[in-house]
Formats: sequence, structure tokens, C-alpha cells
Amino acid sequence: MLKMSLTSVFLGFLCFLASANAGGETLVLLDNLAIRETHSMFFKSLQERGYTLTFKLADDANLVLSKYGEYLYSHLIIFAPSVEEFGGALSVDAVTEFIDGGGNVLVAGSSQSGDVLRELASECGFEVDEEGAAVIDHMNYDVSDLGQHTTIVAETENLINAPVIIGDKNIPPLLYQGTGLVADTENPLVLQLLTASSSAYSYNPDQPVKEYPHAVGKNTLLIAALQARNNARVLFSGSLFFFSDEAFTSSVQKAQGGQKYEKSGNEAVAKAMSKWVFKDSGVIRASSVSHKKSGEKEPPAAYTVMDDVVYAITIEQLAGDKWIPYEADDLQLEFVRIDPFVRTKLQKLDNGRYEARFKIPDVYGVYQFKVDYNRIGITHLYSTTQVSVRPLQHTQYERFIPSAFPYYVSAFSMMGGVFLFSFVFLHYKEDVKSKAE
Amino acid sequence: MLPSKANAPHAKKVLFPDKQPTNSRQVKSSTLTNAAGLSSLITFTVLLLAWISGFASRLFAVIRFESIIHEFDPWFNYRATAYMVQHGFYNFLNWFDERAWYPLGRIVGGTVYPGLMITSGSIHHILHSLNIPVHIRDICVFLAPVFSGLTAISTYFLTKELWSAGAGLFAACFIAIVPGYISRSVAGSYDNEGIAIFALQFTYYLWVKSVKTGSIFWAVLTALSYFYMVSAWGGYVFIINLIPLHVFALLVMNRYSNRLFTSYTTFYILGLLLSMQIPFVGFQPIRTSEHMAAGGVFGLLIFVAVFRYLRTMLTKSEMKYFGGFVTLTAAALLLILVILTYSGLVAPWSGRFYSLWDTGYAKIHIPIIASVSEHQPTTWFSFFFDLHILVTTFPVGLWYCIKHINDERVFVVLYAISAVYFAGVMVRLMLTLTPVVCMLAGVAFSGLLELFLKEEDKDGSDREGGEGSEEESEEETERSSRRALYDEAGKLRRMKHERPKGSGDGLGANLRNGVVIGISMLLMMFTVHCTWVTSNAYSSPSIVLASYSNDGGRSILDDFREAYYWLAQNTPNDARVMSWWDYGYQIAGMANRTTLVDNNTWNNSHIALVGKAMSSNESAAYDIMTSLDVDYVLVIFGGMIGYSGDDINKFLWMVRIAEGEHPQDIRESDYFTERGEFRVDSEGSPTLLNSLMYKLSYYRFGEVKIDYRSPAGFDRTRNAEIGNKNFQLTYLDEAYTTEHWLVRIYRVKKPEEFNRPRIPIAERTINRRTSSFLSKKTARRKKGLIKGRPTVVKGQKPQKKSTT
Repeated sequence: MLKMSLTSVFLGFLCFLASANAGGETLVLLDNLAIRETHSMFFKSLQERGYTLTFKLADDANLVLSKYGEYLYSHLIIFAPSVEEFGGALSVDAVTEFIDGGGNVLVAGSSQSGDVLRELASECGFEVDEEGAAVIDHMNYDVSDLGQHTTIVAETENLINAPVIIGDKNIPPLLYQGTGLVADTENPLVLQLLTASSSAYSYNPDQPVKEYPHAVGKNTLLIAALQARNNARVLFSGSLFFFSDEAFTSSVQKAQGGQKYEKSGNEAVAKAMSKWVFKDSGVIRASSVSHKKSGEKEPPAAYTVMDDVVYAITIEQLAGDKWIPYEADDLQLEFVRIDPFVRTKLQKLDNGRYEARFKIPDVYGVYQFKVDYNRIGITHLYSTTQVSVRPLQHTQYERFIPSAFPYYVSAFSMMGGVFLFSFVFLHYKEDVKSKAE
Repeated sequence: MLPSKANAPHAKKVLFPDKQPTNSRQVKSSTLTNAAGLSSLITFTVLLLAWISGFASRLFAVIRFESIIHEFDPWFNYRATAYMVQHGFYNFLNWFDERAWYPLGRIVGGTVYPGLMITSGSIHHILHSLNIPVHIRDICVFLAPVFSGLTAISTYFLTKELWSAGAGLFAACFIAIVPGYISRSVAGSYDNEGIAIFALQFTYYLWVKSVKTGSIFWAVLTALSYFYMVSAWGGYVFIINLIPLHVFALLVMNRYSNRLFTSYTTFYILGLLLSMQIPFVGFQPIRTSEHMAAGGVFGLLIFVAVFRYLRTMLTKSEMKYFGGFVTLTAAALLLILVILTYSGLVAPWSGRFYSLWDTGYAKIHIPIIASVSEHQPTTWFSFFFDLHILVTTFPVGLWYCIKHINDERVFVVLYAISAVYFAGVMVRLMLTLTPVVCMLAGVAFSGLLELFLKEEDKDGSDREGGEGSEEESEEETERSSRRALYDEAGKLRRMKHERPKGSGDGLGANLRNGVVIGISMLLMMFTVHCTWVTSNAYSSPSIVLASYSNDGGRSILDDFREAYYWLAQNTPNDARVMSWWDYGYQIAGMANRTTLVDNNTWNNSHIALVGKAMSSNESAAYDIMTSLDVDYVLVIFGGMIGYSGDDINKFLWMVRIAEGEHPQDIRESDYFTERGEFRVDSEGSPTLLNSLMYKLSYYRFGEVKIDYRSPAGFDRTRNAEIGNKNFQLTYLDEAYTTEHWLVRIYRVKKPEEFNRPRIPIAERTINRRTSSFLSKKTARRKKGLIKGRPTVVKGQKPQKKSTT
């Protein structure tokens, strides 16, 4: 009895450990340790969700991301806008390698962003505006602004239309103060999470506008993200202020006759985005794929043309540390041989199971069952299963076809005719011959 | 035959017991039976020797290299045979090969002439049922040499039917060693032609026999032999057009006979039905234009027969009406054929067929056919190379046949004329010319020797060296002995009597001897030439190369097998390898990996897609390669060792084939310089220098310095310094390069490896003030740098001033 209870305690402890580790090791790089205090609400929310935060100065000489080929952290937060060079073994290359290795990165800059952040941004497909440039909006600045109109009020309607990343859109406006980002328009992986309003532009507020600004209006990105092809996520905000306690708690009111909100929407959005970037949400996987001829249990070695086939896939979604069924009604299956021959909707069954039934076309070849599910904010689900579709075997053709009946008749009547004729031939006595004799 | 044992002083008797009775009688008195026995003995010996020498001279490749399958097509045949032996015939018939033509796949059973596989498979089966464990590979390697002996024998029979046994022996000896046939039947060259020439000759023999006898039996055998030919080789079309042509010519020459009627109608009906049993042939015999001539002649023959029959029944005036009726019917039939062709029921002539009449046709319309070296027009040189003295003597034999024309010689004349034409159009069809050349040259030599050895004694003729003269003398003895029996009056009188009307008039003994010696010299030179050509030109397996150094030492370049073995060992089992189609069968056969295109060039557009990938630049090629799921790319590069059959030399064909299907993307003119040259050096066209094939061939080659006289990156095949040296590959990784750089394998990167599209510095809109960043970190001081960071300035303690 005692032993059992001990075991259960031990198991419970293990479970506790597992849940505690669910968030994962996170390295936080800071300009100075004061940021830890000014952004405490954000960090606290992360810690509450189970992340283990390791705070380091960005120029720490002992910085290291991986040891012996293993990554020590699964996530990286860079809240060090003015870093010019990372300390230790860390560099832009090390960070991009970390991304290519599957690590997630959250970066916040400011109008004084250092070169190393610019470089990192360019590696991910967006650019940070010039040093000193800030997003200025003379129409939508907050009442608390000091006159440069750089503390702007970002409308929630400018958020990307993806609840999985930004959570609920129906929240108070957001406070933003920082530089603008420009995205590579040809990069399909970059997500424009928050754009500025159409009256905004990005320029150095201390200087007269001489050149055309790099980012104007809606092209000015405030927060951008990248989901790489290996599903690593990178989130880049032009404003470190966005995540600060001050922005989380202060009230929002547009200076030019806006409604006053007691509390900005920053906290909600920042939490949702941190959830997304550290892969707490929007992670799906295909846990099992099966295909078979309809009415059979095991998949055949090769299908035959015109077979009826049943394809089933189970898709799961990560919730905390558990995989739960993923519900969607826009999944589709393609049956591809260079081009898709069949494209059909996957019908939802129970428990995240989806199924499609179709008839294989009358074309033989090597096909692939392909599920390519690419939705904003959700990890890319790509599942291919190669099968061979062979033509009919020589025994599978129809044996007796009606159009051949005349030939059967002719063949058999010929045989009968020959048989009868042979009798005639054998037993016929020629009269002529006897006459001649 | 026990009694014969007693009086048997000859050694031959023990070897050939069936010849003993004749030998024993020879001792007594009868010279006739003696000669017959001797003749069959000599025939047997000569054919056996022809078989053995033909077999032996085909073994150069096995002795020099190893018992290995050669070249390209044989590798598929071998793979298919091995599959059939392992899985049984029906599974072979239904074999869907998903490893070929990815992702289209190939129905092997329906796209192959199964005769070859069935032949070697049944030999394997028989040997194994006799508990002789022979590996199927060895059967495949030695199948063609063994069949060359059968070819020699069937050639002997055919020539014997056409002319005489002596000519037949000549022909058998010629075909056993003639290079034109050896080129397709050396050991290891496991290809359809190896057995098809035997089937061809045997079918012709049976056909001639059936025309001669007019018996249904021989005609049925002809049809069966034709069936074997259909199952073995696509060249059966030659038979099904030549035999009707023969029949037609006989009809035109007013040589119709009931024998002809019987043999052709039997052969045609049975042959048609049997040929349609081969899945690959299927309904072609009644649906394609190539086979229509046979049907037309069949109708014509029946019509002539009916006509002749009616002529015996009807009066002249009635026949007039009949003539009009006939014309109408013929016109109606022709019209129906034309309508059927237009409506698509009867397929029009295929492109390959047109290229037989117009040698420029293939180059314009079907580059894939023109790209094969064996489809090029034949040079006069190769006629001599492949046939040597026979090419000059066979017109003589042809002339003899025309002079002494009869039904079956019409056949050989047509055979010779058509084969000469086709051999002139395509190098490959030299193969069909070779047997008839051997036959007619045999006739010519036989005729010559008949003339010049006529008066020689039996003993004198035996002195002549060489198989040919020996058998000829045998032929001669047979005749002279017959003659001796005919008039026994004595030699002198007979000579007087014969001389004026015989052909050997006025020939002195010196002239005779001179001519005979000359002929023997020619024949010996022919033998030497055949051996030399076989040894030097036709005995290379072409997957193993040999090179000779100055001191005569031989080094083996085994790069192909090295590369295929690497593929087999280091790539996933379902890896897809893209290469030019020449290497498809070898990759499938040796590396057992999926290929996109192979030597069964049935789908031109798929090949054009691969050609387009090879001739596009890297990024365009990458799109094609990802859409085809390519994992590895294999190219053959000969620039390092000076191997001329590499992919760069074939490259223009890839471009042409790609242009045929994608004229908007690929243009052949882009790959030439402004002056119309194809060159790989720095003056070459930029399109060429940036094409995928160029990059894959010459990747890292710019760093290689072969010897100190030539610059780095010097291509020995094209004798040029390459024009594009220091480039990197974006979408591919070099995976393996063989010892002599002959085969280079690249891995195609997966899309996941291009994880995040970065913005290159040139394309950034926001310029940084400092273009280059200098790191301040050192090995010891690893601290980074933070701009405007409040630093703690260490205060300085004011020092005490020392007084005193």
C-alpha cells in the first residue's frame, strides 16, 4: 500500500516535471537587466505557461546556443534592440542555424536597432528601417505621446486575420512605439502580423523628410513573422515597448477624438503571439495515414486501375503537451502523378480522422496520395504516400464479350461444317469414275 | 550397327557410326555411296567447326573482361529475364515496372518482345531440371554465341535450297565469323538480334522450302518460325513484307503456281493469327500500314487463283465483263483502305518507317530516333568493315541467281536488293544485310571454285587449304563421282567430251592454280580481318572500359559499375535518379533504382522533359526536377580521361528533343555561338555555359589541372579550356564522383533545405551605412557590444603625494 502510494507520488512528480518542461528552455537576451523588470508581465506570463527563462546580457562573453551538436534551448528571445554584436559563440549565423535547426526566435527592435538585428531580419525575409527611423502617424497617435507622434495607436483591424496567431481580434487598440519593418513581397513565408494604418510612415522623427520614406502607409509593418519551411517560427517586432509592462497596462486613446480604453490590447496580443511563436498553438501533425481498397483491410502491394480506394488520415493538434484531434473542414486530398488526377475533400469522421473515397482513374503509373495543408499560422502539413497503380492483368479482362459472339458462331459452324463435309467426302462415290472404267 | 565394326579401318567411322555403312561399302567398290557418306561427314564437320569457331570468336569480351552483360539494352533484357526466372512467366507477362519511367511506369509484359527471355528462361529451366545449376546471367551472356551456330546451320540449309550444298557450307562459314553479325552477337550482348537472325534465316529457309514443295506442312512450320521471330524482334516486319513481295514478284513474273498459293495462304493466315498472340504486337498486323502489304498480296493471290480457275470455266467474252468487275473491286478495296487510314482505324506509316525512305526525315521530325548512333546512314567504310571481301563478291552471287532464276532465287534476289537498300539507310540494318551477303558470297565462291576446280582430281583438290576450298572440293568430288558413274568410259574421253560445252574451257593448270590460290588468299585475309574486327571493335562491354598505356599495359576503367554500385549502396531504395535515357537500363539493372527515362524510348514528351531540365539553367531545372520528385542526377563526363561518348557530346540531342516539345523555352540556336559553333570554352554561348548539364559536368573541374602543359580545367574530350570555371551549385550537391570522373552523381536538395528565403544584400531596399561589419571579438575576449550601454567608469583614487 505504501509502496503503491509512493509510486503514485513518484509518477505524479514525473507528470509535474513533464508539464513543467512543456514550454521548454528559453534563452532571453537583454540589452540590460532593467528590461527584465520593465517587461516583467510578459516574462511572467511565459513562466506561468511553463517556460524556463534564462536571462543573459546580449554581450555576455559566455553566450552559447548549442553544445556538442545539441541545442541547449528550444526558444530564443532577443529583447536587445541596440546590440551591435552578440557575445560568446552567438552571432547572426548561429541564430539562423538555430532557426534552421528548428528553434523559435522572438525578436524585438526599436528605433535604435543595431546592425546585427537588421542582418538577422534580412536573413528571415524582412528588413528593419534605418537607424533612428520610427513609425510616425500624425492621425493615430496616443494621447500620451510627447509630440513626435511616434507612440501610435494601432487598430486591431490591422492585425492579420488569423486567430491562431493573434487570438481574439475584438480587443482594445494596441500601443506601439518603434521602428517600421519592410517585408520581401516575394517571400511567401513571411506573415504580416500587424501593419500600420494608412496614414503612417517610417522616418527619423528628428529630421525633416527629405527622401521618400522606405515604408509608407499599410506597407509599414509593425510586427512580422516567418514560419520557415521546417516550421520554425520567427517573430520580429519593431518595438520593444510593445511588450513592456507600460504598454500592457496603460490606457489607450487616440489624440484626435478617439474613444478611451482603460487598458490597451497589447497584453492579449503579446500573449497570443508568444504562444504562437513558441509553438503552443497552431501545431498539427498527421499521426497516421492509411489507404486500402474499399472492402479490404490491408493495403495491396499495388492498386489496379479503376479500383475503389479508401484513404484515411488522422490529424492531431498540439494542446499544451497533449495531442488532441484537429477539427477542420477544408482538408483535401490529391491523387497525383505529376498532375493531380483526383482532388477531393476529406470527409471528417470522429477523433480527427478524415477519410476520402474515390475511384482510381483508368491511367496506370506511380501515384502519390498527397495532403498538402497550408494555412496561415498553422504548421505546414505535408503528407505523401506513394503507391503504384498497375493496369489490368491478363486474367482480369472480360472473358466473353457480346461483340465476339458472331466469331464464336462462325468458328463452331466452320468446325461442324468440316466435320460434316468429311463424311460427305469419305462416303461419296463418284459416278463419273465408274463410267469411265 | 554391329556388323560394320568388323571391316572398319577408318578412324572416322568410330566418330560417326551412322556413316559406317557407306564407308564400308567404299572399301568394296561403290564410289557413289562413298561420296555421299563423305559429303555428309564433311558437311557435319564443317558446320560443327563453323559453330565452334563462331562461338569461340565471340568470346573475346568474356576472356578479356569477365562474364558480364554488355551495353544498354542487354541490361534490360537481363533484368527482365531474371525477373521472369524468379517470378514465373505469367507474372512477367503482367509485370508492371514502377521503377522505370517514373512516374508513368512501364507495363513490361506488353511492351517487350518476350522471345529472348522465354528462350533463355527455358534453357535455364531445362538445365536446372537436369540438375545443372547455371546462373541465369551466364545463360544470357552465352546465348547469342550459341545461337550464332544455329544461324550458321539455318543459313546452310537456306543456301542449300537456293543453290547448292557447297554454297551453303560457304555461307555457313561466312556467317559464323562475319563481323556484321558478330557485332550484335558477342558473348554478353544479350539482345533480341542475337536470336532474331537465327529466326529470320530459319523462317526464310522454311518459306523457300514450302514454296518449293507447296506442302502445308512446311508452310505451317514457316508460320511457327515466323511466330518465334515475332516474339523475338521487331524486325519481323521485314519478313512480313519480304515474303509478300516475293509472292507479288512471282505473280508479276507470271510464275503463279498452286504450290505458291498453298504455301502463302497457309503462312499468312497462321502467321497473322500467331503474331497477334504477342501482347506487344497485338492488333498491329491488321491495323498498321506496315502490315497492309501482306494482306493485299493475300487478297491478290486469292484473286489470281480465282481468276485462273474461272478462265478454265468461262469463255473469252464472259471474261471481258469479268475484267471490268475486277478493276472495280480493286478500286473499291483501295478506297476502303484510304478511308480506313483517314478515319484512324488503320494507323498510317510510323515515323520510323518514313525515316527509312527519307534519311533526313528523322532529324527534322523525330530527333529521338536520329539521336541514336545506330540509326545513322551507313558509310561505305562500314560496309567494308563489317563484310570485307563479301561485299565485293555478293553481287557476283546475285548475278548468278538472276542468270539462273527460279522461284526461290527470286526470293533471294529481292532479299538482297531490299536489304542492301535498308542497310544503306541505317547502320543498324546492316544486320539484316549480312546473312544475304553471306549467302550470295557463298554462291559466288562456290560458282568460282566450281569453275576452277572442275578438272582437278579429288586428291588435288584436297590439298587446298581453308574450310571453304575443302568443302568445295567435296562438292566437286560429289559431282565428278556422279559423272564418273554416268559414263564409265574413262577420264580422257570424258574430258574431251566435256570441254567444249563445259565452262572450264581454255583454262590452263597455272591459271587455275593461280585463281584458286588467290581465292584462298582472299578467304584467309577475310578470316584475319574478321578476327581482328571482332577483337578490336566489337568485343568491348562498354560498361567496363580498357585503356592502353604506351608500354602496352592495360588499365581498366570501371567507373560505371563503381557509380552504380555507389547508388545501390548509398541511396534509399526508392530514390529516383534522373539521367539521360541512355543510362536508364543500366541504372535499373545494376543499381536497382527508379529511373525517369530509359532506352525504351516510348514516351517522347517525358524524355523531352528530362532534356529540358538538362538544358535549362539551374533554377528552371530545379522546378522540373521537384515536379518529377528527382532525388539524384547522374551525368557522364568524359573530359577528364577523354571519353568521347559523354553527355556533353550528346547534349545537342537533348536540346533538340527538348525543343521539339517545348519550343518556347528551349531553342537550339541559343546553344551555339554567333558563328554557329558548339564550344564549351569561354567563347561558348552563355546559355550553354549556364545550363544544368554543363554545370553538372564541369562542377569543380575548373580546379583540376591534368598535366602541367595544359591550363586548369582543360577538357580532353573537346580539347578546350572550359569557359565557366568557378561556379557554385545552388540546388544540387555533389554526391559522388567516380575515380576517373566518368560518372558524376548529384543530390537534388529538397525544398525544406531552402528553409527561409533570405534577402540578398543586393536586393535590400534599406542600405546600411557600414557595408561591412568588423567583429571586435577575439579568441580570448568574447564579449559582445551593445550600443550606448551605460558603462561603469572606474573612478581613480587620487594618489597621495609624497612629500619629502
